[in-house]
Amino acid sequence: MTRITSPNATPTNNPGSYQGVALVAASSIKYSRQSHHGAPWFIGRTLHKMLMETGIKKAEVDGLAVSSFSLGADSAVNLTQHFQLTPRWIEQLPYGGASGVIALRRAARAIQCGDAHIIACIGGDAAFHRSFEATASQFSNFTIDSSFPYGGGGPNAAFALITQHYMDEYGAKREDFAHIALAQRYNANHYPAALLGHKTLTEYQYLNARRIAGPLHLFDCVMPCAGGEGFLMMSEARARHLKLRYCLILAADELHNAHPQDEVQIRAGWSEYVDSLYNNAGLAANDIDILQTYDDYPVISMMQFEDLGFCDKGDGPDFVRRTDLRFDRTGPEKNKLPHNTSGGQLSVGQAGAAAGYMPLVESIRQLTGYAENNQVSNATHSMVSGFGMINYDRGLCSAATILKTGQA
Amino acid sequence: MSNKHTRRARLKLNRPSLRERARPPKQRTPMGQTFTSANYSGVLVMQHCQQCEVVQYPPREICQNCLGDELIWRETSTAGYLLSRIELHHSLWEYFKRRLIDKPWPIATVRLENSTTVFSHLYLASFGDLPLEAIRKGTAVQVFSHSDSSLNSVLIAVSAQCDISQIKDRAAIAKTMGLTTAAERPGGI
Repeated sequence: MTRITSPNATPTNNPGSYQGVALVAASSIKYSRQSHHGAPWFIGRTLHKMLMETGIKKAEVDGLAVSSFSLGADSAVNLTQHFQLTPRWIEQLPYGGASGVIALRRAARAIQCGDAHIIACIGGDAAFHRSFEATASQFSNFTIDSSFPYGGGGPNAAFALITQHYMDEYGAKREDFAHIALAQRYNANHYPAALLGHKTLTEYQYLNARRIAGPLHLFDCVMPCAGGEGFLMMSEARARHLKLRYCLILAADELHNAHPQDEVQIRAGWSEYVDSLYNNAGLAANDIDILQTYDDYPVISMMQFEDLGFCDKGDGPDFVRRTDLRFDRTGPEKNKLPHNTSGGQLSVGQAGAAAGYMPLVESIRQLTGYAENNQVSNATHSMVSGFGMINYDRGLCSAATILKTGQA
Repeated sequence: MSNKHTRRARLKLNRPSLRERARPPKQRTPMGQTFTSANYSGVLVMQHCQQCEVVQYPPREICQNCLGDELIWRETSTAGYLLSRIELHHSLWEYFKRRLIDKPWPIATVRLENSTTVFSHLYLASFGDLPLEAIRKGTAVQVFSHSDSSLNSVLIAVSAQCDISQIKDRAAIAKTMGLTTAAERPGGI
């Protein structure tokens, strides 16, 4: 396999083992296109749901990791008084689509070191009338000064430029991206909480949808919405003692602002640590039963197939043509890889920072057997990947983890 | 409540679609404001590091290479090549929404000779009859700055053959693109 290596971003450290840490209580709050509730409602109700499902008391939660774009003047610590929690470990992770995996990495170390015993990791965001415009136009200082003034397209514009470049460079066609979007819609049709799950999507509808920016049409773009996603982390011993179904972390890593020398983004940090990720997990790409990528636009999922070792760089279009991405493996293609099994952001909706937790929460739900109509059969290993923060012309954050079903 | 007061209240409620005149995004950070004022007197002005001479864009506080803090605003080469280009059919900003009623709005990312990457408005007419698809990565372009109708300096990319040596040439391009005038809505407030 050929992989372009970067001269200045070569992480030499190898993350230590995540042994003994359990992930439980994957919980999602039903998304809504618009809501009068603020971010604390979505974060608080996610916490409530996790406690209800596990029977753990609020006072027992001694760690809190939160990600949200819409807390306004508040930070994670303000929420402790809102919810009357008294955590001895707190973390706020404003890393958009990579927040979930990064929260997992931070919280796992706190559990291993005994800094906290039960940590709630939650991503939640509100969606008020026209609030997306404000988020997009003030996303970062570079955005304000140097990208938003050029057409006011928000993330659609930046990703359209990346998508167009990828299509020109590697010969990807809109039909290839359709393959990703259609399979995800099929998955969403089996996941009741998906905002677009009640609608089917055909290739004709996808190809003839309203034009948005360059090669991006309506069904390439995620729908901003409100929602919450979360999970609890604790020691494996505690999860067994509480008789909770759990999963384990085999490996995890992250790298930010990788490949600054690439003129246009064709990859992110995954390419630099994917080998050590598989090594640490003792697995290869074909051992992965479920893959959850960050799908803010189909081209980003395609880059993850490449960078996470499922195919070579530039082979993404061909890979999706020969791979069945449906959760129930009912597609006609011979190669099977259940992908974004709840429908991903493209069909469930993008609830701000909760979108960075969605792939992780869905994976935990799958591996603990709590998925309902969209349960993947015979799945023990799931790979979850995060991507985020279009500061200027490219996404900066990359993170990935491999999870395994626990023997509860 | 006076008529004037209700008008102001409506504008505060962020309903730009009712405005008679919509303009490009006004908002900038203090660095962005400095970029605007530095470019009033030049074709293309960017920060240059005093220590290592690396050119910086987007405008910033600290040199991206050596972390030096002596960044001097100086003229830089307008030459570069195209990285990617698209036409916007949808915008979050009222000014562009109105411009998009007639035709899509082309934008591009350009790699300049000074190794910076810039977003820019793309002046398609300077490429003759070429459709957008035919303007491939690597096409030679020039990028200059001009003030828009919000009085901010913005970047415009044109073909390498286009004459932009005179201020009147550059002003004519910005005007043809509609950047120097507000997008009007008859009967707006």
